[in-house]
Amino acid sequence: MTFPSTNETELVTQAQSGDRNAFSELVRLYSQGVMNVIYRMCGDAQIAEDAAQETFIRAWLHLSSYRPQTSLRSWLYRIAVNAAMDMLRKEKRILPNALEDLQLQDPRPGPEALFFEEDQITMVRKAVLALPDASRAVLVLREYEGMSYHEIADALDISPGTVMSRLNYARKLLKEKLERRLFIQMEVQHV
Amino acid sequence: MSKHVHEWLNAYHDNELYGSHLQQVEAHLAECPICQAELEALEKLTSLLDEVPAPEFTSPERFAAQVNLRLPRRQMTAPGKKILEIGWWMVPVGLLVSWVFVSTSFLVGEILSTANNLGLLTGVSNWLTFGPVNETDVSAALGQFGILSGNGLDWAASLEALTRTSMPMIIFQVSIALLYLSWIAIWWARRTRHARQPRGQLLES
Repeated sequence: MTFPSTNETELVTQAQSGDRNAFSELVRLYSQGVMNVIYRMCGDAQIAEDAAQETFIRAWLHLSSYRPQTSLRSWLYRIAVNAAMDMLRKEKRILPNALEDLQLQDPRPGPEALFFEEDQITMVRKAVLALPDASRAVLVLREYEGMSYHEIADALDISPGTVMSRLNYARKLLKEKLERRLFIQMEVQHV
Repeated sequence: MSKHVHEWLNAYHDNELYGSHLQQVEAHLAECPICQAELEALEKLTSLLDEVPAPEFTSPERFAAQVNLRLPRRQMTAPGKKILEIGWWMVPVGLLVSWVFVSTSFLVGEILSTANNLGLLTGVSNWLTFGPVNETDVSAALGQFGILSGNGLDWAASLEALTRTSMPMIIFQVSIALLYLSWIAIWWARRTRHARQPRGQLLES
């Protein structure tokens, strides 16, 4: 069941006056998106869930400062990105370990294609996590949440021009790191 | 062939180009194999990123229930606080009302005083009229004791008259203006602090 925006506004108004059930409904609506953003930012599912809980608690505490005429999603993602960064700082950037865990999860050698696919996923994930925080946040919101440049600008409190330059930079770095993968994929498609 | 459009390719790829920029990039792409290859690489990069799956997160219902359990009690606006809040918003209104009231009283007083001095209020009841006001008491006393005389006494008398008639109004106007500016400064500070609260530390450029 999804709520139209008018219903969302009502839920926000009710939550702002202290209605926990209305807020829970909002949590239910945005939990997957928020967890996804944080996961893409930090690369660990457990950390993502913890930081997502933190995000919604912060949102609850500061809900009175949210203005209903702005996008709730952007407002929540802004808190989510900051919560992810706080969590990474607190966990002293455990990303490399998370990546090692990922590789150790299934040590059995599979068919070559499957191995290549898993290897490729790991490589891409690693390349994204290695991006500078500011560029990674923009890339995640664009590539995984499909947000427009203006929505990203609102969420991160930066100008659309900065969104564009950070996105260009992030993609340039990714292309450099994944050049071989991109080349292989292009070759396969052309064949 | 026109200049390469590398810097616009990302925005083109994301459907964020409009108008003349869009036309320029489309026209260039139609004839430039280098930019075409670059755009193709961007498209491949997006599909590579799409291939990275997200893990299975806790279901929205369960997650919402978990969050609900952790929600702290939010400080609701107490009635006393509400009254204070109303009082806070009444401050500028009160300042404005008192400014209008005192300015009007001053103006009416001036008009009556002038009319009285001109003898226009001779037929009016006593409560509205008053005798000539001596606005140079101090300088007159200084003259009587021989402390001031001649031009000095005239200057002192003029200054005293000016001070007695205009100074209270100037002090009042300045006080109202200062109070009003202080209120605006506090309001602005509160608003800025309020707006920043949920943001935490923003990402550095």
